Amino acid sequence: MTTLALQAHAVSHSFGSVPVLRGLNCDLAPGCAAAIIGSNGSGKSTLVRIFAGLLKPTAGSMVLFGDSRIDRRRLGLLTHQTFLYRNLTARENLEFYAALYGMRNPPQIAAEWIERIGLEALAAYRVRTISRGNEQRLAIARALIANPDLLIMDEPFTALDVAGAELVKGLIAESMERGCAVVLTAHSGATLTAIACERYELSRGRLAADKGT
Amino acid sequence: MTQFRAILGKDLRLEIRSGESTIALIALSLLILVVIVFALSQAGARGTEAGAGALWIAMLFSGMLGAVRALSSERDNGTIYALLVSPVDRTTIYFAKLTAAVVFMAIAEVAAVVLMVLFFNLNFDFGLLRMLPILALGVIGFGALATVLSAVSGHTRMGDLILPVLAVPLYVPALIAGVKASAAMLSGAPFTSAAIWIKILIAFDLLFVGAGYLLFEFVIAEN
Amino acid sequence: MLMVAALYMVFLYVPTEAAQGIVQRIFYFHVPCAWVAFAGFGLVAISGVLYLWLGQDVWDDLGYAAAEVGMVFCTLVLITGSIWAKPIWGVWWTWDSRLTTTLLLWLLYGGYLMLRAAANESPNGARLAAVVGIVAALDVPVVIVSVRLWRTIHPAVLVTKQGGHGLQDPRMVTTLLVAMAAFTVLFAWLLMLRFATLRMRARIDRLTLRLALAEAAAQDI
Repeated sequence: MTTLALQAHAVSHSFGSVPVLRGLNCDLAPGCAAAIIGSNGSGKSTLVRIFAGLLKPTAGSMVLFGDSRIDRRRLGLLTHQTFLYRNLTARENLEFYAALYGMRNPPQIAAEWIERIGLEALAAYRVRTISRGNEQRLAIARALIANPDLLIMDEPFTALDVAGAELVKGLIAESMERGCAVVLTAHSGATLTAIACERYELSRGRLAADKGT
Repeated sequence: MTQFRAILGKDLRLEIRSGESTIALIALSLLILVVIVFALSQAGARGTEAGAGALWIAMLFSGMLGAVRALSSERDNGTIYALLVSPVDRTTIYFAKLTAAVVFMAIAEVAAVVLMVLFFNLNFDFGLLRMLPILALGVIGFGALATVLSAVSGHTRMGDLILPVLAVPLYVPALIAGVKASAAMLSGAPFTSAAIWIKILIAFDLLFVGAGYLLFEFVIAEN
Repeated sequence: MLMVAALYMVFLYVPTEAAQGIVQRIFYFHVPCAWVAFAGFGLVAISGVLYLWLGQDVWDDLGYAAAEVGMVFCTLVLITGSIWAKPIWGVWWTWDSRLTTTLLLWLLYGGYLMLRAAANESPNGARLAAVVGIVAALDVPVVIVSVRLWRTIHPAVLVTKQGGHGLQDPRMVTTLLVAMAAFTVLFAWLLMLRFATLRMRARIDRLTLRLALAEAAAQDI
């Protein structure tokens, strides 16, 4: 029995007197992907922040990798903010994050990722000058750079064209084969059905397993 | 240590790249000094005291901008969260940001010292050189204070407006000590004559670097 | 009751100080206010530490209440001091060390309260305020030392009892002590009022939340 990558138990969160999440349960095994489908304002982003340890839930427990202290080295996070420095080039951004995760030889790692996401032509351009779709590719490379064991992605297919979406699906599948657990969120299930082994519906602060479709 | 270097290197690179902000910082120091000369010339201020005072006022205000820049570089694209979810500990972030703030302030400070000598008819001499460690102490103290407080102000509705309201009164003791010690150095008095002021500056620095080290974790975290 | 006793003693019991005349009586308000203002500041810092340490909202509310009430007394110190200074020193304000220290204290309180106003809706507000409260309290000793070295002309009544500024008459001492006690009680009372209000607000929030949760649960079925 391997340890679960993510265990959320009875997680609730409220801002002031406004409840956002009410008693969520979610378990995720390594190599598995969970899709969380919810409309705007359903609490997806709050849930993502709680999963990533950026927000402490008002009640309930969150455990990553079977340890109450998060090993942040093993966590990859993608949100609707790309976490990229606009005045650094694509390559410099990746080099910086590789160094931040204490990896050896950041320039080489950055170069490899630039190639994988097909941004060779844009590597020396500042992020502020490249398109949103290419920025999203770069953001995904950034989240994956330290080969995480848990990948949390908030609407990963935002702004991506068909080729980009295929590329990202490929990267996610590759990570899962490696044993990485993945949490994905989206407005609608269509894009995620192919990848996810479990689907959840997030509505009115509650998470329901969705076995349909 | 590599993480510290990575964050600091990235901040310095960002700063150099947006060169206009360094120039703006120097320009602000220049303007403050000029304004003070205009304001004091009627009152017949003495060279060293007025010069030292003007210099520290310039430092206070240009420092406010400089220190804020060190953290505001992280607000751009939510990158502060990227730092928080990365394996870097808060202490490393604090010291990297503090160092960046001190470097930005030091650049503006060097320009301000040169301008002060010109405007207040002082000499480029040994006294000026001896004032530099005192300025360094002032810069470190303010950097420590402003790094914590700009993290605080970043979370509020008022944003950076609240920063001077919090930082200026807190910095007053260092300002008093710094001006007194600087004036003593400029007028050629020995180090020992300003010993008590230098001690206050050192105490201030230790206190607020220490407080920042202990408290940064609470202001940087999101809930 | 204590307040009435203090008022009686200040205006009727205590002899008029020879050199300064009637205006000296303000001293019996001034000193207790100052003591209470400083105590309030300490309380802000202590509750800040406790909040960061224990994470209970109670300490946050206590810190907020202490800052608000402390600010009121700090303002009174400055006002009563000014009223006294005009006839005695001939000016409303001088850059004497204690005046300067008190002014800085007042500014720090002001900054803290502005921060609270600006950050109160944010879930981080309490933590930020606690940090600023602690930093401000750390600053106070440095302020006192540096400003005292800077300059001082303030009468050192309680410290040295030199010259004509000491309290010659034992009735003066008694009055001062009673006034101190009265202001301490007044401070504590105001503090409790503000504190209770804040606790009440927290309770309303909790109940509103529970109501919202119950409504949501009812919809689930």
